[in-house]
Amino acid sequence: MKHSPFFLTIFSFFCLGTLLAQTHFTDITEQSGIDHVFNVFEGTFGGGATVFDLNNDGFEDIFITSGIEEDVLYLNNGDGTFKNIYSQSGLTITKGYVTQGAVSADVNKDGLRDLFITTINTTDSSNVIPRAKNLLFLNNGNMTFRDATSEFKLEQYNSFSTGASFGDVNADGYPDLYVGNYFLEFEGTLGVLKDATIVSAHQTAMGYLLINKKGKYFENEYDNYDLAHRGFGFGALFTDFDNDGDQDLLVNHDFGYKAVPNFLYENLYPKKSFRDISEDTAMDLKENAMGSAVGDYDNNGLLDYFVTNIKFNLLMENQGVGKPFIDKAKELGAYNFAISWGANFADFDHDGDLDLYVSNGDLNPNCTPIVNFYFENDNFKFVEKGREKGVNDPGVGRGSVVFDIENDGDLDLLVVNQNPTLTYPTESTTRLFRNDQPNGNWLQVALKGINAESSGIGSRVEIVGWNTKMMREIDGGGSSHLSQNSTIAHFGLGNATIVDSVIVTWVGGKKQILLDQKINQLLTITEAADEKQSYWYVILLAILFILSIGFYRSKKRKSDKIA
Amino acid sequence: MDFRNIGFILLCLFLVTAGCSNKQSQSLSDQDVALQWAKMSLFITQYTPANSPTFASRGFGYIGLTMYESIVNGYESHNSLAGQLNGLHNLPKPETGKSYDWVLSLNAAQALILKTIYMQTSDENKLKIDSLEIAIYDQFAVKLNDEETAERSIEYGKSIAEAIFEWSKNDGGHRGYLYNFDKNVVHPERPGSWKPPLFAQSFSHLPLHPHWGENRTFLKQNKDMPTPEIIPYDTLPGSPYYQEFYQVYEKDLVLTQKEKEAAIWWGDDPDVTFTPPGHSYYIATLAIEKEMLPLIKCAEAYAKVSLSVADAFINCWKWKYHFFSERPNTFIPKYIDQEWESFWPDPPFPCFPSGHAIQAAAAAVALEDVYGDKFNFVDKAHEGRERDEVRDTDFVIRPFDSFWGAAQETADSRFWGGIHTPQDNIVGLEEGSKIARNVIALNWENNNQK
Repeated sequence: MKHSPFFLTIFSFFCLGTLLAQTHFTDITEQSGIDHVFNVFEGTFGGGATVFDLNNDGFEDIFITSGIEEDVLYLNNGDGTFKNIYSQSGLTITKGYVTQGAVSADVNKDGLRDLFITTINTTDSSNVIPRAKNLLFLNNGNMTFRDATSEFKLEQYNSFSTGASFGDVNADGYPDLYVGNYFLEFEGTLGVLKDATIVSAHQTAMGYLLINKKGKYFENEYDNYDLAHRGFGFGALFTDFDNDGDQDLLVNHDFGYKAVPNFLYENLYPKKSFRDISEDTAMDLKENAMGSAVGDYDNNGLLDYFVTNIKFNLLMENQGVGKPFIDKAKELGAYNFAISWGANFADFDHDGDLDLYVSNGDLNPNCTPIVNFYFENDNFKFVEKGREKGVNDPGVGRGSVVFDIENDGDLDLLVVNQNPTLTYPTESTTRLFRNDQPNGNWLQVALKGINAESSGIGSRVEIVGWNTKMMREIDGGGSSHLSQNSTIAHFGLGNATIVDSVIVTWVGGKKQILLDQKINQLLTITEAADEKQSYWYVILLAILFILSIGFYRSKKRKSDKIA
Repeated sequence: MDFRNIGFILLCLFLVTAGCSNKQSQSLSDQDVALQWAKMSLFITQYTPANSPTFASRGFGYIGLTMYESIVNGYESHNSLAGQLNGLHNLPKPETGKSYDWVLSLNAAQALILKTIYMQTSDENKLKIDSLEIAIYDQFAVKLNDEETAERSIEYGKSIAEAIFEWSKNDGGHRGYLYNFDKNVVHPERPGSWKPPLFAQSFSHLPLHPHWGENRTFLKQNKDMPTPEIIPYDTLPGSPYYQEFYQVYEKDLVLTQKEKEAAIWWGDDPDVTFTPPGHSYYIATLAIEKEMLPLIKCAEAYAKVSLSVADAFINCWKWKYHFFSERPNTFIPKYIDQEWESFWPDPPFPCFPSGHAIQAAAAAVALEDVYGDKFNFVDKAHEGRERDEVRDTDFVIRPFDSFWGAAQETADSRFWGGIHTPQDNIVGLEEGSKIARNVIALNWENNNQK
């Protein structure tokens, strides 16, 4: 990446950035009204958040899971404060479940973001083997939700589910789901459990690939799409690693070195199939993969993946299609000892490259504080500045998300922390950090899908300008740990004054280009109707087809005659 | 996939076809019956989910004891252990003046004890046990040609298994697989205390069977053994404690391929193998297979090995939780090299003393007692297993000329694997030997007969 032709330009932006960066992040948890901690059921599992604008008022709201306690739904008041509207939201059914992670998408194409929540158990502790169904809530549009779990045929999956992600694997505009399961599914039946059943409970599990059937229900098509793996699943990430316009799948597994490693699947869209390319791409990581973050950290047009782990994380650098990924974490400086879960690529300082936040936390009930990392992208190398930036939170971190709290253009941070089971030397509660770095210009791009999912989940946004090109994928969840970032694409622009072009690649491959866009704005791009041109193609092809048949027939007649 | 599995299936096929096609066909010797049950026990141990070395050691203890007790009254040369073990005062006695077929008794007793101790195994596995029992019965009942005696022998064998199972229920380990990891126990937090592994064999971050050391030992003598001594905690380079870990670290840097092979061979991960106690029971099987001594000597060997190993685990766990000591993976990254990681992943329990060492020594001393100090055998326990890609090492079969050689390598392999310090192994080997010597010292043989 050092030989990038844009190197000098980027470097100058960076210098400007550092000079200006005197104040950093401010912990506004208390003043914003956030009062949350995740309470574990047992062991180390859980704690995620999803960012979504539940009432389409232009301010992004947050749902955070709380484990065995009551979850929270924070409505963004638009003034930097939040109000927990959980009790009136219609979500209170979640009290009956040990919740883990959450993701959001417009499941039924009504323009409203719906909510999917993973669970591992019910809270009434009646299960000898902890399992429960996951929960789907449809958005009523009046700041309430209704439970659509059975309507969408999700009742039957009695699972120990960790992370979920929305994506659109068949590019039909209805968001599908990948659900990671840690222990194998158990079909709950009444009656006395045999010991044989109990001892089988801790085996590796298959995930679910829940295909959205026109917004009516979900169907698990794991086999149909040629997924076959089991593993101690921590979810997956839908991402177009090979830039071919469809959503590939990166699967995270705990205990990869002993049980089942990570997977990378290539989506063979329009064929209904995923091809396992884990070994060829060297993405069959044998690690404790807790989560992953996607981002093109070196702006070379290839998406890279930061995979969190126990001890040392991995930064898998994309070398281009057909070439194996290479772990560059150590070389690039993103190599600090920790137990890491969530991770987020974001240009926090608006200097035109992606910085990296990492949420760390001990294996509860083990309770040694591990501070979170903030890796500043310094000329495509990383420098850890968590302390300096004021975001080195020592809580028992799990999921982390980025979004813009007050629509001031920069990305803020929310980190979900667990309640330490044993005594803990510092506070460990969910933290909200406001980004106060005075910084360069920016552009935010919100997608409005027509054929595609409403927020453009599964699509990508690229911007070109001042000799560089940057890209973002719209997060359907999974680009962190059990969590989902804002679906608004965010770019730091340094001192650029105009964006030459904004290119949207809608899921399925359709492109849309806007030229000469203003900076420091939230640009909303509505999906263009399918271009007339495409109809012409169809008509042209049809004519050609008819002609060729005619030609063939006439030829055949001739040859028949000769014969 | 697994050669033992295939071997077992082949045997079943053989027995079934032999049983069906020709009632006259004679195939198994008395010793073969003992061997087949040992192999079945190893199979069930391996293929029952959520098994652990602790629970497996207990299982073999009762299985080995049952084998011995189900036939001992047929041999004037040997004594029952009833009245000699910790709380086992009586066992059913055969009717005087009546005849018994001791193989049929053993057969019935082994089937029952396996199905009860391993009540958590799958229905499919229970069917396998039944099939073996039927196949052996078919052959030996035909040979005996006395239905009444056959019935009496089977009933007697079952009564022994039932009595031993009843006795087993209150030893503290009954259905122990239901509480492998007790989340309610609060463990000590102090410098040098055990921390959940970051490079782990188990998904659990809680330590395995914290109460196992409180279980009833088979021998009271083993319960009363004094606690061994541990080197006091110190982080000062050059201190004895620091040196313990520094040796592990230094060794890891120059690990040879041969040492790596030993490290993975003796791993005996309970998730994929018959566990370390299973490995000891397997070595006993090799010795029995080779020497083919009379059936009672075979049962004596299994009983001596399995009781020694079971008690070794109880004492080992008592001491592990008494000291609650850290693993090299905790100390070394903190005080020697942050990036260091052991060659083999950490098991989920404290370090001192080594469970592998203590049980291997116990088994070796027990086997030496029956078969002598010098004994040539080739350990093929993991022959044909798929190469360990993560560690770039093959499973290579291991020839030994003594049982102790195998025990020593078991202990050393934990040091090479980077999960035990030298003192864990030295103390483990010493204490395991003492435990086995207590077992050997029981009144096994009737001296008048000798």
